[in-house]
Amino acid sequence: MKGKHLSIIAKKEFRGLFNERTILLAVLLQLFIALFSSFLMVGLTSMYDPSSLSKYSHYRYSVAYTGNESQLLSYLKTSPDFRVYQMDLSTAVAALGQRKLAAVIYVPDTRPDALDPIKITLYTVQNDLQSAIVDVKLKDIFLKYEQTLRQIRGGRLDVQPLPLQIPASTGGGDFYEFVYGLLIPLLVFMPAIISSALVIDLITEEYQHETLETLISTPITFPEMVWGKVLTCGLLVPIQAATWLILLMVNGIAIENPVLILLHVSITSLILILIGTLVALHYRERTAAQFIFSTGLVVVILLALAVPSNPLNLLTKLAVGTAGTEQWLVLGVVLAIVVGLGYVTQKYAEMIAKNHKTG
Amino acid sequence: MSTLTDIATIARWEVKKSFSTMSRDILPLAIILFVLLVLVTGFTAQTGLHLQDGMYRVGVDDPQVAQLIASDARFSVYQLDASTLNSNRNAFDVIVVQGQASGHGTDRSNAALKTLSRDYGKYVNSVYNTETDLFAAYPLWIDPESVKSELSFLSTQSGQYISAAPSRAAPVPEGAVQIIPTPPPTLSISEDQIRAQLVQSNAQNTQISRYTEVLSSSSALGGFKTPSQLSPPLPFDSIILVFIFIFPLYFTSQFFMMSIMNERIERKGEILLSTPVRASSIIIGKALPYFIGMMAICAGLTLYLRVSPLIILPLIPIIFFFLANALLIGMLSRSFKELSFISIFFSTIATSYLFFPSIFANVHVISLISPLTLIVLTIQGTAWTVTDYLYSTSLFWLTGAVLFYIAAKNFKDERLFSEKPLATRIREFLSEILPPKYPFVSLFLLSGFSIPFVFMVQMMCLVLFFNLPMPYSLVFLLLFAALIEEFAKSIGIYTLFSRDAVFFTGKNLILASAATAIGFLVAEKLLLFVTIAQISDSVFGSILFLSLGSLWLPLLLHFVGVLIVAMCLKFGGKKWFAPGLTIAMIVHCLYNLYFILGWLG
Repeated sequence: MKGKHLSIIAKKEFRGLFNERTILLAVLLQLFIALFSSFLMVGLTSMYDPSSLSKYSHYRYSVAYTGNESQLLSYLKTSPDFRVYQMDLSTAVAALGQRKLAAVIYVPDTRPDALDPIKITLYTVQNDLQSAIVDVKLKDIFLKYEQTLRQIRGGRLDVQPLPLQIPASTGGGDFYEFVYGLLIPLLVFMPAIISSALVIDLITEEYQHETLETLISTPITFPEMVWGKVLTCGLLVPIQAATWLILLMVNGIAIENPVLILLHVSITSLILILIGTLVALHYRERTAAQFIFSTGLVVVILLALAVPSNPLNLLTKLAVGTAGTEQWLVLGVVLAIVVGLGYVTQKYAEMIAKNHKTG
Repeated sequence: MSTLTDIATIARWEVKKSFSTMSRDILPLAIILFVLLVLVTGFTAQTGLHLQDGMYRVGVDDPQVAQLIASDARFSVYQLDASTLNSNRNAFDVIVVQGQASGHGTDRSNAALKTLSRDYGKYVNSVYNTETDLFAAYPLWIDPESVKSELSFLSTQSGQYISAAPSRAAPVPEGAVQIIPTPPPTLSISEDQIRAQLVQSNAQNTQISRYTEVLSSSSALGGFKTPSQLSPPLPFDSIILVFIFIFPLYFTSQFFMMSIMNERIERKGEILLSTPVRASSIIIGKALPYFIGMMAICAGLTLYLRVSPLIILPLIPIIFFFLANALLIGMLSRSFKELSFISIFFSTIATSYLFFPSIFANVHVISLISPLTLIVLTIQGTAWTVTDYLYSTSLFWLTGAVLFYIAAKNFKDERLFSEKPLATRIREFLSEILPPKYPFVSLFLLSGFSIPFVFMVQMMCLVLFFNLPMPYSLVFLLLFAALIEEFAKSIGIYTLFSRDAVFFTGKNLILASAATAIGFLVAEKLLLFVTIAQISDSVFGSILFLSLGSLWLPLLLHFVGVLIVAMCLKFGGKKWFAPGLTIAMIVHCLYNLYFILGWLG
């Protein structure tokens, strides 16, 4: 195998990619996903932790307290989030319907130490973003009241849970897990999936456009052609993954060990690319190859995720900086798989080339 | 009648051909893979997804607590004595000394504390669920009741707060007060039922609900919730179901895309084109098997999952839209690489458009712009109306139809087998539906047909910018809405210009601009009245679809916008297209600003 031949093939494929400007589409795609995931984060944050949006945090919502007196009333009155009015139920609900209140609470005449639970009725406006925010804020007050009631009724419990005091949330860190534990491994690994789909296109194209004969009549051998294409797709992975990392960093997401992440992604992606290559060599037709490959891909990725310390988990750990020496063991296993697949690919390509000559 | 026979024949060929190209050795492997898939899914469900293992480091001094925390694989737990922990506290994200957890304020530390408190909450619940006296453990129950607002519920969506200026005195409702019966003080279901439900909802912590604090509580408790269950329910289960429906549709439309592409490779489809069968019959015939296949998949899934067959209704326009796009992508791309990239690009955008709004299904009316929301609602058992259906699917029907029309017009030799760059090909495709004989009529129609696409893109922007803080969302929406509209209007002019620059004499320039402007306005108003009334009443809507009142002002605006672009093209050539577009956008924005400011003041 000659390095020069490989680079000729790789150059040809890169030229093709740039000529068609398809690579531009891929970059656009990255930008778009980054944009949408940031939308998703802001959206979810504002829904589930409204205080993270400053404009909501200094607003006092008007709520009506109806029914019987309880500890809950004083909790509401001391809360900086609410302005409480003691009202009559029917009037309060009517005012709620006219949006003069944010919520109405009805408390029944059940004693705190009664055998029965205390059932509070909470009226809010249907299908409304602000109602959701009020719900979340009221939840804190209700939890506090539940704690008080539990203490009052504590003597009736048979088992007490292990005590553990956890400081109240100081804000921040809400989407840490989402970003580092899902977004980053997904986004950084996506180029590997794109590249392995691309290698199928590159190989089946030669078959279906019947350009293979011309290629093989040059001094380039069939295995060299295959490896040239694998090389092209393999080189695209770190480029795209690096783009992701830079995009994420520009968005203010600190990522530890970017170089190690790129190293791991580049090598792990070779597994997928080689599987794609084998499938493409076998079927020689895009529809079938892509179908089998994408089904196989789901199986492989699911299986990988089921194993502890899988390469995707490693990406998470590297990004947050908790990866230890076990990463080299994982890399070793991955490398062994790559070498095995590479050997099979080489043999398969040689076999095809031989059959071609004799046939 | 003969058209129908043609379609049937082509559909039969298509089925036969796709079975022969999918060589016979694909089936055994596909079956093996499918069995493997089922096995692996089961295996993964059992072991759990190990994606976030070891994200946090926790130091603990008590073996019992260590065991408790270590049950969550996200924590690497180190058991050390208290003084070592205290002196090395920065080496850990969280340390637990004598039952007191503490972090050190970094994002990761805060996230670890939150995860820990969620885990601990689940543990506490699991202990409480076994108590004999259930109501000592869960003394407080909330019964959430929804009140329908009598005022237009759009007022809050425009970014205003719920109530008017705060006052010392309690608010007084206007008009007659309806008597609300006092709610009964007891829960209407038995203690055992409640316990079973609590155990179930505590066990529901799937991998996904990790990302939110939501314990998705089903309504089996008669709607009663403990305080910790009180959060807007995120319809995660339903959304996963939705994915099960959408994925096979992607796959099938990929096959269709490939089938179209295969016709074009090495001019294999030439024979079909030389027959006296009409292009539209060929397209319908080729698409029909895929359409039936997709419907069959959906019907099968509906039966298998035992959900209401109503969910097929919103799926039909999605299938139609997918097929239309697959057809056009198959006709446009020059190589497999291009096909792959364009189809990945399309499916990402389509998924975002379909999927993200439906996350907000229970919270916000804006989620209705996606047909998937209707599916989520159906699965949840919430009713939706015919208006809702029209509102969320009409854009899919219309854009699908327009794309099919463009494809049918272009389904012929010189378009299918040309090797020009993508942008040129798109322009040629458009040029095909602008017959030179009737330039003005076709401009009128083209700008009219662009409206559903404009709405779709603007809806996307609306969703995208809705979550930014108020002034920014308005500014962005203002700019983008103007840009999108001006771009859509100028496409026709640009296409005509690049085909025949001489055509644009002074008189024709004005006529062409007028035709475009009128077409745009007419279609905009038509679609607006049919569907978008809900959103068009809010502040956001007033930017997107301003001008419900007088008609001549918006007409003038559209006319001036197109004219600016056309003039730039005429006097500066093609390179002046982008600057012309920018100027038109600025003019459009100024106009909108003037009216919104006037409207707000």
